Amino acid sequence: MGNSILRTDKLCKSFSSSGVQQHVLKNLDLEIQAGDFTVIMGSSGSGKSTLLYTLSGMDKPTMGDIYFGERSLSGLSNDQLAVFRRQHCGFVFQQIHLLDNMSVLDNVLAGGLLVSKNKRSVAAEARKLLAQVGLPATAWGKFPSQISGGEAQRAAIARALINRPQIVFADEPTGALNSATSTLVLDVLTEVHQSGQSLIMVTHDIKSALRGNRVIYLCDGIICGDLRLEPYATDELTARNEKLKAFLSEMGW
Amino acid sequence: MHVLKLVIANIRKGKSAASSLALLILISAVLLNVGLTIMFSIQTFYDEKVEELQEAHAAIIMKQDSHVAEPLNFLQGYPGIEGALQEDVLLLPSAQFQYSTSEMTSDVALLNAELDRDFPRLKFTERLDAISDQDIYLPYRFKLGAGYKLGDTFEFSYADQTYSYRIAGFFESALLGNIDVGLIKFMLPDAAYDSLEQKLGAEAQASLLSVRLEHSADSPKLIEAYSKQFETGASRGGELYWSGDVVMVKSANTMTINIVAMILVAFAAIVVLVSLIVIHFRIANSIEDGIVNIGILKSLGYTSREIRGSMLVQFAGIALLSSLLGIVLSYWIMPVFGGIISSLAGLLWTMQVDVGLHAFSILLILVTVLAVTLWSSRRIHFLQPVEALRGGLAAHSFRKNFVPLDKSSGGLTWMLAWKAVLGSLKQNLLIACIIAAVTFASVFAVVLYYNVGADRTTFIQLVGSETAEVVAITKPGTDSAEFIKEVEAMEGVVKATILDVTMMEIEGNRYYTQVTEDFSRLENNTVYEGRYPKYNNEIVISGAISKEIGKGIGDTVSVTVQGETKTYLVTGLSQSINFLGLVASITKEGIEQLAPDYESSVFNIYLDQISTVNFIKQLNAQWGERLDSVTDLEEVFNSQSSIYITALFSVMVLILTITSVVVILILYLVIKTMILKRRRELGIYKAIGYTTLQLTNQIALSFVPVVVTGILAGSVIGYIFTNPLLAFLLSSAGIFNVDFNVPLAGIIILGLGITALSYAVSLLVSSRIRHISTYELITE
Repeated sequence: MGNSILRTDKLCKSFSSSGVQQHVLKNLDLEIQAGDFTVIMGSSGSGKSTLLYTLSGMDKPTMGDIYFGERSLSGLSNDQLAVFRRQHCGFVFQQIHLLDNMSVLDNVLAGGLLVSKNKRSVAAEARKLLAQVGLPATAWGKFPSQISGGEAQRAAIARALINRPQIVFADEPTGALNSATSTLVLDVLTEVHQSGQSLIMVTHDIKSALRGNRVIYLCDGIICGDLRLEPYATDELTARNEKLKAFLSEMGW
Repeated sequence: MHVLKLVIANIRKGKSAASSLALLILISAVLLNVGLTIMFSIQTFYDEKVEELQEAHAAIIMKQDSHVAEPLNFLQGYPGIEGALQEDVLLLPSAQFQYSTSEMTSDVALLNAELDRDFPRLKFTERLDAISDQDIYLPYRFKLGAGYKLGDTFEFSYADQTYSYRIAGFFESALLGNIDVGLIKFMLPDAAYDSLEQKLGAEAQASLLSVRLEHSADSPKLIEAYSKQFETGASRGGELYWSGDVVMVKSANTMTINIVAMILVAFAAIVVLVSLIVIHFRIANSIEDGIVNIGILKSLGYTSREIRGSMLVQFAGIALLSSLLGIVLSYWIMPVFGGIISSLAGLLWTMQVDVGLHAFSILLILVTVLAVTLWSSRRIHFLQPVEALRGGLAAHSFRKNFVPLDKSSGGLTWMLAWKAVLGSLKQNLLIACIIAAVTFASVFAVVLYYNVGADRTTFIQLVGSETAEVVAITKPGTDSAEFIKEVEAMEGVVKATILDVTMMEIEGNRYYTQVTEDFSRLENNTVYEGRYPKYNNEIVISGAISKEIGKGIGDTVSVTVQGETKTYLVTGLSQSINFLGLVASITKEGIEQLAPDYESSVFNIYLDQISTVNFIKQLNAQWGERLDSVTDLEEVFNSQSSIYITALFSVMVLILTITSVVVILILYLVIKTMILKRRRELGIYKAIGYTTLQLTNQIALSFVPVVVTGILAGSVIGYIFTNPLLAFLLSSAGIFNVDFNVPLAGIIILGLGITALSYAVSLLVSSRIRHISTYELITE
């Protein structure tokens, strides 16, 4: 087990709708270890995405604390959270969210140049990452609307990695992709994890969840299950699959 | 009914955009209505006043010793005459009185207010009830332009005597009520008139011949025929002392008003254009934002016509309500301009309800708004429901990756700002055009005010006046060479020159002509093409005369004075705002060819390092008996131009205010819709670590190149085209070449001001994203 990278202390998140307060996360205590590929699962409305966005500093908790290492995120302003995200986090979204008025390469650079002023080295790093995620050089100058969904998601992964973040957050990264493309994207994420990168991924897809080494199951804003798995390896897929299915069955999936 | 529901839903969705659009249309409706009302009604206003007051169409004043019977017979027998009458008046050449802050010198005719005359009708704008023999009635302009009130004391000086009266009323006069035409009339109650007549004696006795014609437009011809018949010039000592007609006075009085109206209408056109562009943005954006909704509506069975119809009703409704409100509001603003018009014309302006004109303003706005709405919403017609439901992806077809981040130089925020600029080039070009238009209007207004209100040298040159400090008119029989020699020897005198104005016949038409010994000694060169006459067979004619007689530089013209005719070579074309621009210039030697006994009487005296008042005292002490009048030219100019300065200042302030409002509104609307449109994109930026400040700066900076381009274009156009545009506007007044100083520093300050305003507005409006969380931006 690695060092703790992210920790929550009685994390609460509520939304108010038409005067009614809806508590999505309830006194949630969670610790994420460095180097883990943590998968968050749960039924619809259980608070998976809310937890992911609150953990990543994209949204502020209503109560409780989030610690990144020893540093509390709760007191940070919006701009301080933005600086935190650019330095320590990478994001992969279900809707991909590439900037549609920029080329694929520029999308990656738009993140990279926030942290480093050295244009040449950032550009070299961006090209290396795009190649690593399996995107052909011919696609780098294209706009997001001119490439396939799978290619776009791989470009988004390259963008998430450009600043060598300590943690990558992925919100249903294969949700908008077909089966074959999903596998390609998951392979990239697995490779990223195997290189030592910490990942937190929200998913409702068992194939995706199999890639993680820890599965947290949320029920109505609280953690009702926490499963530890061995790091992903293709040769023991059947056993892994059964173990996960049993866990999910236990959780009422 | 279902279309109405769509309309209400649309307006509810974009309340602030709808209200700012309504404000823009309101401004354009007000400007359009005020401008058109002034422009159309000023044409008839003056003529209607002439009829309302039964004003004389032409007036001639002659000294009492002249033979009145013969001229009166001539006038009564003139074709098209409706009536000609004679009355005794008191004539005070070069009387002095306080006008506003200046000591004004003007010829004054005093009339008996209680005399029973067929015309003109004496109409008071206000009057005291009890009248004494120390009362005087003044033209209405003295109330508006000079600030006099009923019951105030009014004094005038004539021949070293001061006469003091109580102001008992103000009256309107369309012919002799203005200080600009050289002669002004005051009216006295019977007792006061008799008393003054006795005090002044026979010297002041004069005859006023008033004429009404079937067609007032024939009045200049009548004056010309009269002058020709009796062979009189404008120089003193002639039988005719002063003559004027309503056409000349109308032209002098309405020129500035026309320019102000044209500027207002032009500016209204700019604001209407801005509103139309904004409507185009609004529609394009509402289609973009609501594309899925359009898809849903289409899939439900709504036709394109119904969806577009809801947009038409929405924008037509806003346009109709705003322009109606604008018309109502223009009644509130009109008195401000009415006051300016009254001051400029010296006549009481009452705004009349012109339903036709209001309907035209509303219709014009409505039709253009509907046309733009139809044009901008045409995309809906071609949009397939499936495509719309998919978010209209086919619409997102970027062609070029502007400012690639790996190859371009500059900071990240700046590069991203440029990406935004070039990514919406069409929209940005439109904004640049709007900014250019309002900047041009502002530059025009500033240049106009600067040259009339601040540095008047060029304006004085334009008017055709000399920049001498004093004008002295000598009595007949004075030796001009001796006068010049002695005056030039006086302390503080730089030089003295002759500048007579007399009448000459050129190619059969009679024109005012300037006469001097050596034109190179004049300070103000009014010749815009060619040169002044040097030799005794040369002449300069104004551009307006050149047009009228069809002769130009290098041509010869026949000139007749006192029955003698000779040909002269035209050496140049000049311009003047006086005499409708119809004026010629000839040397003294030149006119002596035709009139060997020609005698000069008007002298310009240029001073340095001496107060004008002191000099006039010394001149009067030395030459008093031989002088007919001495005038402090600067004082006269100040008092006459103050009303124009006020009018132009009001216009400049109005235009600068509207420029600011337009810049604020357009940026507010564009940035607000842009934030809505780029909500997801801004969310992504925030998610990957961009701070709010970086993003607001990026948005604000993305408008800087657009705004700066617009300002530069507007300033350059203003710098180059202000003078030609003014020349065009003034061409009917005899001005063909305007060389106003265009203050570069002023334009730069104006440009920097608009840039700073734009940047501040952009920052302020884009800071709205501060209140939107990243989560909301991403998930909405």
